[in-house]
Amino acid sequence: MSAQPVIQIRNLKKSIGKKQIINGISFDVYGGEVFGFLGPNGAGKTTTIRMLLGLMSITEGEIFIKGYSIKKDFEKAIANVGGIVENPDMYKHLSGYKNLVHYARMYPKIGKQRIDEVIRLVGLENRINDKVKTYSLGMRQRLGLAQAMLNSPSLLVLDEPTNGLDPAGIHEFRNHLRNLAKKENTAVFVSSHILSEMELMCDRVAIIQNGKLIKIQTLNEMLDNKADEAVTLTVEPVDKARECIESLNVNYKPVVKDNKIEISIKYENIPDMVEKLVQAKVRIYGINKSAGNLESKFLEATGGNKIA
Amino acid sequence: MKLYGRLSTWVMMAFLIILIILTGFITSFTANRTSNDNWREELEKENESLKSTVSSMPDVETSKEQYANTIKINEYRLEHNIPPTQTTSLWGFMSSAAGLISVISLFTIVIGGGMVSTEFSEGTIKLLLIRPSSRWKILLSKYISTLLATLFMLAILFIVSFIVGGILFGFTGISEPYLRYINGNVREVSMVGYVFSLYGYNCVDLIMMATFAFMISTVFRNSSLAIGLAIFLMFTGSTLVMALSKYNWVKYILFANTNLKMYAEGAPIIKGMTLGFSITILIIYYILFNAISWIGFSKRDITA
Repeated sequence: MSAQPVIQIRNLKKSIGKKQIINGISFDVYGGEVFGFLGPNGAGKTTTIRMLLGLMSITEGEIFIKGYSIKKDFEKAIANVGGIVENPDMYKHLSGYKNLVHYARMYPKIGKQRIDEVIRLVGLENRINDKVKTYSLGMRQRLGLAQAMLNSPSLLVLDEPTNGLDPAGIHEFRNHLRNLAKKENTAVFVSSHILSEMELMCDRVAIIQNGKLIKIQTLNEMLDNKADEAVTLTVEPVDKARECIESLNVNYKPVVKDNKIEISIKYENIPDMVEKLVQAKVRIYGINKSAGNLESKFLEATGGNKIA
Repeated sequence: MKLYGRLSTWVMMAFLIILIILTGFITSFTANRTSNDNWREELEKENESLKSTVSSMPDVETSKEQYANTIKINEYRLEHNIPPTQTTSLWGFMSSAAGLISVISLFTIVIGGGMVSTEFSEGTIKLLLIRPSSRWKILLSKYISTLLATLFMLAILFIVSFIVGGILFGFTGISEPYLRYINGNVREVSMVGYVFSLYGYNCVDLIMMATFAFMISTVFRNSSLAIGLAIFLMFTGSTLVMALSKYNWVKYILFANTNLKMYAEGAPIIKGMTLGFSITILIIYYILFNAISWIGFSKRDITA
């Protein structure tokens, strides 16, 4: 991670009419990290991203990209940024190549070489000269990534980028983003609902709800909150296993879920528990360490199911 | 690149060219080829009927002045032995082909009316605006694009009508004069000059309508509205002005001022209007349209 943050957001506020959509958000994003931006529907993720990209006006507060204010120095700020907002809509009646040329022309120094390089990076060499209206969703997504990278940006802003990609595509995309962060020191700012993907990809995560930032932590901090291990046992019969565990120690509180039991227990006590279960003739099919995953942490932090 | 990549643009241009060629053929086959001997008699007859019409007309009628001018011009022709321009000659054809400029107006409105709004409806505006270019620069380049397309179509009209006219009617008569009534005298003016001026006068209306369509496109982000509204106004605008011509404030309406030719012919719609006045009104409307476009584009949030 480099010292000077690529994005600095200070007390950002946005209201439309009387409604306050964003209520004072502040955070930094550094080069070389993949930063995840999460939140329930209606929390203000897309609004924040649009303000970051200059598509929506800022009611109060500041956004700095590499030190340039989006409000006052838009052109300089945005020159370092590449992005995809929702679907990357391209000009359908033009070929993929011409689309890229069109955008390349808007920057001072992007030549044919860079365009070809970007095409190779996303794997669209074979179809690049076909009209975009013939592309599948996955191809359009790749073309979207290509246009975001034309100017070798220091900041990549992605809103739901893996939407429509096949598993191979998602895998490739993820690797690609991590590479960009590590090798080119690009700051990657991703917003997505696919928490399993975010878990695999992000270094730090911020959760936003009702226009406010409710949590911002490194992924590790977020997931490893317990002193005890959380262990999941796949056993039969479940009730017998539960009684057995409860009898071991008054503090143990096993939770039954279908044919599994979840319990917090210290690492060193696991073998004893297993032995007890075997003695009680409980059949054990599997023992798994379940690190609290991002989904459960997310739901815990946002309190379930309300749309703002 | 975007404009010319669309098939519809080329279809419009092709349509224009075909229309020109069609008009040429129709003119050549249906027009009366008056022989040179008869023109004197015809003009004399025309003058007599016009004179009687004029004397029975009340003074308020604006067309009275136009008829009076035609009478003077006909007398000039008779005196100087200049036959009237046939529609079946090169220049005659080109001046009537200049009427196709109204077709160009339609096309320009379609192009201008779609410039900004299609970016919104296709969603491409999101990717367009996250580039290092301020919004007004992007808007300006779109506007220039519209104007250039108009210029291109006008050039095509001129060139193709010249070629078609020449092929069908021969290239003679290039140096024929055009007669114009200026300030109480009939003057001879070159035909080339006249045709150019025809184009020039029609351009005023063209540019104003294109700017208007562009403005609606930018503000309402809706192509159909922009194109529909502009075409509607194009057709009903001048009728509306005619209908309201007894009110003096009519002269502030845009359409009362777009036909600058009326000054050259010496017969403005409302008495007391001058060329300077019309130009001022036009400039005010022009600035207003463009200001509205600029504000509508630069300051608003993009939620599309």
